[in-house]
Amino acid sequence: MASGQHALPALQRTTSAVSFANGASPGPTPTPGHQRSLSTIPSPLPPRSPLPPAAATTTADMDAGADSSSKGKPSSAGTGTGASSQHSSLSAAPQLRYEQPAARRPRRLRSQYPRGSTENHVEYILVASFDIDRGPVMEHQYPVAITGDEHMLAELMLPDQAHVRNQDWTIFFLHKDTSQEEDDAERRAKEERRAKRNRKRDRAKGIIHESDDEDDDGGDLDDDDDDDDWDDDLSTDSEPEGIEGPPLVYVLNLVNTKQDKTVKRGAVVKAMAICTRHPFLHIYKPLLLLALEEYFKAPVPETLAMLYNAVNEMDLSLMPKLSHLERHLLQASENKDLFVEKFEEMIEARITESGVDQPLDASKALPTRPSIFRSGTKAHIEGHAAYVVPRDTHEFESKVMYKGIPIPIKVPVAVMPEIVGDFSLIKLIQNFTDPHTKTPQAFPLHSHLTTNGPNTNPIIVLINALLTQKRVIFLGHNMPSGEVAEAVLAACALASGGILRGFTRYAFPYTDLTKVDDLLKVPGFIAGVTNPTFEHHPEWWDLLCDLPSGKMKISSKIEPAPITDGLVYFQQQNPVYANLVHTSSSSSSSSSSSSSASDLTGDAAFMADIQRSIATRAGERVIRAKWRAWVLKFTRIAAAFEESVYGASALYIGGDEPEVGLPAGSQGHGHGYVWVDEATKARELAGNVTRIEGWRNTRTHLHDRLRTQRLTASQSRDIYDTLARHVRSYDEVCLLLSVAPEAQAGLFYIALGLFHKDREARFRTAELLERIAEHDAGRHWWRALSRFEKLAYVRIKREAEAEAARGREEEGGLVGGRDLNTARRR
Amino acid sequence: MGASMSISSLFGKLFGSKEVRILMLGLDAAGKTTILYKLKLNQTMTTIPTVGFNVETFTYKNIKFNMWDVGGQDKIRPLWRHYYSGTQGLVFVVDSSDHARIEEAKTELHRILNDLEMSDCLLLVFANKQDIPGAMDPTTITQRLELSKLKERPWFVQPAVAIEGSGLTEGFGWLSDNIKKMPKYGGK
Repeated sequence: MASGQHALPALQRTTSAVSFANGASPGPTPTPGHQRSLSTIPSPLPPRSPLPPAAATTTADMDAGADSSSKGKPSSAGTGTGASSQHSSLSAAPQLRYEQPAARRPRRLRSQYPRGSTENHVEYILVASFDIDRGPVMEHQYPVAITGDEHMLAELMLPDQAHVRNQDWTIFFLHKDTSQEEDDAERRAKEERRAKRNRKRDRAKGIIHESDDEDDDGGDLDDDDDDDDWDDDLSTDSEPEGIEGPPLVYVLNLVNTKQDKTVKRGAVVKAMAICTRHPFLHIYKPLLLLALEEYFKAPVPETLAMLYNAVNEMDLSLMPKLSHLERHLLQASENKDLFVEKFEEMIEARITESGVDQPLDASKALPTRPSIFRSGTKAHIEGHAAYVVPRDTHEFESKVMYKGIPIPIKVPVAVMPEIVGDFSLIKLIQNFTDPHTKTPQAFPLHSHLTTNGPNTNPIIVLINALLTQKRVIFLGHNMPSGEVAEAVLAACALASGGILRGFTRYAFPYTDLTKVDDLLKVPGFIAGVTNPTFEHHPEWWDLLCDLPSGKMKISSKIEPAPITDGLVYFQQQNPVYANLVHTSSSSSSSSSSSSSASDLTGDAAFMADIQRSIATRAGERVIRAKWRAWVLKFTRIAAAFEESVYGASALYIGGDEPEVGLPAGSQGHGHGYVWVDEATKARELAGNVTRIEGWRNTRTHLHDRLRTQRLTASQSRDIYDTLARHVRSYDEVCLLLSVAPEAQAGLFYIALGLFHKDREARFRTAELLERIAEHDAGRHWWRALSRFEKLAYVRIKREAEAEAARGREEEGGLVGGRDLNTARRR
Repeated sequence: MGASMSISSLFGKLFGSKEVRILMLGLDAAGKTTILYKLKLNQTMTTIPTVGFNVETFTYKNIKFNMWDVGGQDKIRPLWRHYYSGTQGLVFVVDSSDHARIEEAKTELHRILNDLEMSDCLLLVFANKQDIPGAMDPTTITQRLELSKLKERPWFVQPAVAIEGSGLTEGFGWLSDNIKKMPKYGGK
């Protein structure tokens, strides 16, 4: 098996520090010109994505249908089999001219966690126990003592009422500063890379720096450059430091209570925690279970070391790094094959790279390359596979060897900001909407929170509270603290939508009375507790969400919302609407709006839709995608509001100056909401992305209009035209897909353009769909189109070809180099 | 509105539906959790050290007690203050056989009672573990805890053996009677 990969000595990980990140390892070397030659590898798979049988049938049908109705048409151009066919005839077809980049990501793939990275998966292992004389105490820390108050940590590791249950999980976050040295080293490395990159760019433009020559030739470093370029293009891949502070350390903690007659007072309570900077901390649960059990038997530091080494040897190097948009697409999609080619590509690169020095297995008849199998396939189960492509591309499959036992681990591939751990939005929503539906509770009015009046849906009250930076507490008396923590994590995700940031930084998934003094210093937080004493202190919170009863309470001591300048201006500017602030918007910033009955915000309708979706068993991804849409819309409306009121929106700070105007403390001042996240959008778009930015605010908006408004024929033609003209690059297609989630009609509204009464609009739409069908992700969307739509596409395509041919005839012999587009454009 | 208020408080008086919040404190291993579950379930449970707190509700003499039992290790005693607000009765549990720590118990007790939020509450002391040879009797406990210093506040020391349940009903009998005398009870 692939022992060469995961048996990477731990030493190498930890000692190769400071050697400029990935560069130190023999990282995958560029493999120009063989982007996607998996088909050359002996494998039972179809050349490209292994289609699920159903999908394969559909496309086959499609072919049949198309063929029967189109004798003599040149190959299968555009029947949509492009969706599954690697060597798409679309791109090969001579009469078409598309920039190849539209089909796939223009750059070489990188690993999310490259081999030889200096970063450990897990940074610390801690063990605490409840001392019968002293209370919570820290017993051991590995590899070194974590900085900060260890007593405070020990208290968090032994949650309230741990004595009444045998086992409990908790989660908490540490705001640990990286040490000064680490910090400096990191920064220096970063600056150096940036400088190099700039020089490289300059050189490309013909500007030459004298100092270039020497170190610019280092191949390893250039490797890094590629990576960073990519990051910068999409800006949000790495969180810019300095705005929010260093990344959080996430702590997953397991506490066990064992009755033991032989010890004083009859029980031993011990807890073990894993501290990691990966947000998918839940993957370590099985390991903590084993290791804590082991620690009860052998309460020595070596037990911690064993776990530490095991988890840090986990090999995730074949997990491809996805761009921000790709992650959004994957997150929102239920498709288990989406981006499967990236996994294949990673493996392929690895095989190429290791092929040279890998000793051949003499027992094999032929020195073939190691084969790749899809996880769960027969060959895989029988153990023939050297490399395995995950059966669901949402999860990368790896393993941790603990005491000689392989523990399977599944790591989420698309990790979005503010999505930490494992939780269910559906569960959170049901927990509070179901009781509300049965017996509606009337809230006392608060203009930030009850945007739909006293009967505002509690989930909307919650999201309003989060957006307006209130103090929110989830209380789960008699519940495992792990469940309370999940609710907090879900709430963060709800309000963030993967778009807005800064919720997890103020989240305390589990906390207790020992931390209350510190908690109250935080202006606006989301905390999980199990101690009902919190309910007796309404001065500690603004919104209390009681999990067992599913009721929310607005504190009797909440501060009333201030009258802000923005609100006053708006009302002065729009005297007619003064009482109906933002009539047609779904903005919750319609803070002073008193007429709640008419659902001015659209939230009531939105919640009804969400509940309907849940009732019809829509999956978690669908619900998350819907929330993301809500949040996106909210930010847009917020921006529009700012623009109309202030003449400019802080949400659109230029990419070059992400720091400007975003000190952490500025949040929540003056205008109540939205502005919680002035930083957010700017950050999302940081870098050079005015182009993407501009695109977002027009094209995505256009798509929304297609979906929600009735337009005149000429308006909609303009939209199809604009889309077709501007959605060209790989990223642009990603962006378009991200606003047309599969769960919300997918390409339906775009495909409607195939039936537009304007011929030009039909052609344009076909052009656009063709580009989408070729796209790595888009092909899955294409596949979901109905047969009717695909047939229409084929018909239009043929029409266009015929017309082009006519054009050529008319122009006599001059048409050689002309393609369809030019012909049509005349 | 006024009418409905008085009716509900009348019901409260008649049927004892008003909930009374009781806070039970004391040094670690004094027997707090054992008392709580003896009262709640009339069962002797083997208890283990309380991580954080226990809270149970039970009715005795027509009064609904909402009783909080908070862990007693010295490091976590600073948390006790968070439970003071809204407390009408303090049950302070003493291990009568623990001569070494009776002074410590006194200090903690007076610290609690000096808190403003506790100024109106009743004090019931359980002189627990009377079954252990050499246990201090209630008079000694009264002296060692310097209860005579308490002026206005109604207090009572009840000898008890929590694991057998003896003394508990007597103690809560006193508590119930005095709660009913409190101006707060049934009011509001």
